[in-house]
Amino acid sequence: MNYVPGTASLIDDIDKKHLVLLRDGRTLIGYLRSIDQFANLVFHQTVERIHVGKKFGDIPRGIFIVRGENVVLLGEIDMDKPCDTVLQQVSIEEILEEQRLQQQAKQETEKVKMQVLKDRGLSIPKADNLDEY
Amino acid sequence: MFRFQSLDEDCMLEEEDDGLIEDEDEIDQFNDDTFGAGAIDDDWQEEHKRLAELDERDGLGAGLGFGGGGMGGDSDLSTSERPSSTRIPSVVHPPPPSSLASLSFSSSSSGLPPSDVEDRVGEGDLAESLARLILDADPAIAGVGAAERPGLSPGSSGSGLSALRGLDQPRVLPQPSPIPPPTQPHQHPQHQLPPGLPASGLPPSSMLSYQQQQHLLRRGTAPMGQMSSHSIWENSMGFGPVSVAPGLVTHMEGNPLMSIIKEVGHPKRAPQGRNDEDLSERAPPPRSSSPVIGSPPVRAVPIGTPPKQPMSHALNHQIHHPTAVHVRAPVQHRYPAPFPERLSPNTLLNIANSPLCRGPFPPRVGPVLSQIQRAQLLNSQVAGFPRGGPPPLLPGGGGFRPFFGGPPPPHGHRMGPPPPHGPPNHAPPIRHNTTHLHPQHRRMLTQRMQSRGGDRRPGMDRRSRDPYSNLMTQKEKEWVTKIQMMQLQSTDPYLDDYYYQNYYEKMEKRQEKERDSSKKEHTTKLITPQVAKVEHTYRPVQFAGSLGKLTVSSVNNPRKMIDAVVTTRSDDEEKREKQVWNKRRQILYTVEKMYSLLLEVQDFEKRFVQAPEEDRESLLEQHKSNTEQLCSSLREKEWDDRVSDEQCVMIMSVRKGKRLISRLLPFLPSTQAAAVVMAIARNLPALAKKDKQDQVLCWLVEPVSAVIQSLSSASLTDLLQELQGSEGQLATVLHNKFGVTLLYVILSEGERMQSSDPNCQLMDDNRWTELVFSVTRELLSVPSSSLSPPLFTPPNLLSLFSRYVDRQRLELLQDKLQISALSR
Repeated sequence: MNYVPGTASLIDDIDKKHLVLLRDGRTLIGYLRSIDQFANLVFHQTVERIHVGKKFGDIPRGIFIVRGENVVLLGEIDMDKPCDTVLQQVSIEEILEEQRLQQQAKQETEKVKMQVLKDRGLSIPKADNLDEY
Repeated sequence: MFRFQSLDEDCMLEEEDDGLIEDEDEIDQFNDDTFGAGAIDDDWQEEHKRLAELDERDGLGAGLGFGGGGMGGDSDLSTSERPSSTRIPSVVHPPPPSSLASLSFSSSSSGLPPSDVEDRVGEGDLAESLARLILDADPAIAGVGAAERPGLSPGSSGSGLSALRGLDQPRVLPQPSPIPPPTQPHQHPQHQLPPGLPASGLPPSSMLSYQQQQHLLRRGTAPMGQMSSHSIWENSMGFGPVSVAPGLVTHMEGNPLMSIIKEVGHPKRAPQGRNDEDLSERAPPPRSSSPVIGSPPVRAVPIGTPPKQPMSHALNHQIHHPTAVHVRAPVQHRYPAPFPERLSPNTLLNIANSPLCRGPFPPRVGPVLSQIQRAQLLNSQVAGFPRGGPPPLLPGGGGFRPFFGGPPPPHGHRMGPPPPHGPPNHAPPIRHNTTHLHPQHRRMLTQRMQSRGGDRRPGMDRRSRDPYSNLMTQKEKEWVTKIQMMQLQSTDPYLDDYYYQNYYEKMEKRQEKERDSSKKEHTTKLITPQVAKVEHTYRPVQFAGSLGKLTVSSVNNPRKMIDAVVTTRSDDEEKREKQVWNKRRQILYTVEKMYSLLLEVQDFEKRFVQAPEEDRESLLEQHKSNTEQLCSSLREKEWDDRVSDEQCVMIMSVRKGKRLISRLLPFLPSTQAAAVVMAIARNLPALAKKDKQDQVLCWLVEPVSAVIQSLSSASLTDLLQELQGSEGQLATVLHNKFGVTLLYVILSEGERMQSSDPNCQLMDDNRWTELVFSVTRELLSVPSSSLSPPLFTPPNLLSLFSRYVDRQRLELLQDKLQISALSR
């Protein structure tokens, strides 16, 4: 609004804490330091937050440069708002372990499903997580 | 000239190399100094004698070959990747005859009398060989030497030789001759010489230079630095990035003459060497390798402009050495526009911002604070330290910016009115460029901004303490904004920003309605700035004074890399498939074209209202032509007046086409519209079949009903007949929702006609009655399940049927169709 009134621009988001969701599913939280015309983002003091169920874990990542095309959504984090979530923060190891278990469980169910379908002579092509062409 | 021979003689040289190879093992290339500190005085003479004898053995041909090879060797050295070291012995110790041969080669005169060569055989003198070296290497001198040769008596040794010999002998021992080493660097740039310099320029200058050099050699080295060899040095030394082979460099290192070379010859290189990096990245804070295109330019230059070069520098290079290496054009007079019909961001900003944004800013320190300055700022002014504790100052390594917190740059982009006790470094509010916005919008924006102003304070405090803040400079922010604004430029806002325009128009209308005449305030009309459609022809940058058409391939002028030729395979089956494909494509294409016409037609009204008086005429005309075109597109090719059934069906076979027809019908003249509806009715089964998946036909109901209502009784009867056309068609019709609805509409229309107009001709012939009878029969016979529920049931159906059928049947019909007296 500031620099390009009437339109949206990331200029006003600079130096604020943001949460960005990437196309590969990662969630990053950091201070947005720089942008460009492609919405490539430079994050500072970035933290990758992994959510598994009600738990989450933060992995400090330092400085991140995100290519604009990989951003799904980006939102400013309101520092003033009271943070009253049901989420529980755990250590990195724990959350990674949880994530691994989650992935494993998912794979198992997927496998079972495929087998069942196969038995019935059906096959549903698997859609990848990434929207690759 | 030199080249030709060299190419021929190249192979010869290789033969010679074999002969020399055995000696190479003994010669340590990197440390083989002929003169100077590393030289061993005695050896080279003997060695040379040895080599000379070797060459003599090879004979004339080799000698000849070598003469050219001496030249070829030059080009070879520079172009090929053969280690220069292999060349050195061959070059340093050329066989006697070769140099003379080269003399003759270099001259434009013809003929190399072999006798001359043989005369010189046996004069294996290093001095001579060195002299020849010069002559070999420098075409200028060689040319002169050759030219001079005829002047001298044939009996004695060649002029060049004798002169040089005379020179050399007193010179060789007391002082290392200045001649040989320079030739080596000469060789390399030499290859650049032919493409660059016009051949005609050579002989006269070379004559001079040679004489000059002779002078100098006789009189001392001091003047050499200055004159002469203006041409000699320049021609050879000043060329592009002189690629002196490492071997040669080390070879020459010990040579005191190198100092002279360094004095005289290299100055051209220095500025040029800086050329590449300097111009592209001339940012005061040296950023680590940021390319010009991707990053904010230091000088605000529109995107796609080829980077500039300072004129003087460019001229220098152009005149003396047009290098093919740096293809940067000295374009200073204009910027080629990045997009043909848009303003460059510069001009846009200048136009748009100058009245507004100059505002009450404190004069800035400079466009970009250097890193040092920022660090100083930080040191001097930062009071508190960052919360969270990132390290305060890291030595800026590898292009990292030092952290600067403290005061934001004077252009701080804090919004809103300055709070009474805001942070000390708060800048006055920026007035933005809102001319392109609707005034309503502008008002809303300012309101919003003001309301936000109060919230800013806590955030601002925090931000001011953040040492990493403002990593993105004001200039960079402006740069990004510039690009974004540029993208918003539009020559046709109705096209580009349709919804925005419409929204505000509606709002305006609403406001007008509300206000009526109570307030005198007129709602402001939105006048969006439109960029003039100026045709910018982009002419690719070309160099003046270059041989041939060298063009820079840039964003706006891409070079054709691949010559792609389309070949179509003719295979029978493929052909058929292709035909089907093509047909479909054709249909789609037609539909698209019709759509664009239709959109224009539909927008006509709006545009008409908006347009000033003068333009209305032309708009009207355009409108007419558009509609005409639309109509004609539906017509058959041969008969210009009838609507083509086939065409209609084709269009309707595509989903988009059906939509198109539904939107188009209101704009067609009634006859045509009727014809279209007829066509639809006639081909309904086929259409219904195709439509099974999409169910798009129902969109047609409204426009079709509108058309039907305007039909005459005769045509209505016709229509009904069409609907029942072929055997079993009606059944299919009844299956389809649209069909049923259509039928009902027709019947209802008929009924309306009958009931409203007593003179209606509907009953004049029995057709109508019969048709209705058949319809009722069909309706009754068709099982309920297959009867598709219509979109709506016209209310007067009951009365229609009551005319034609008896009570019993009527009741049955009623049940089946669920029509009652009050049904809707």
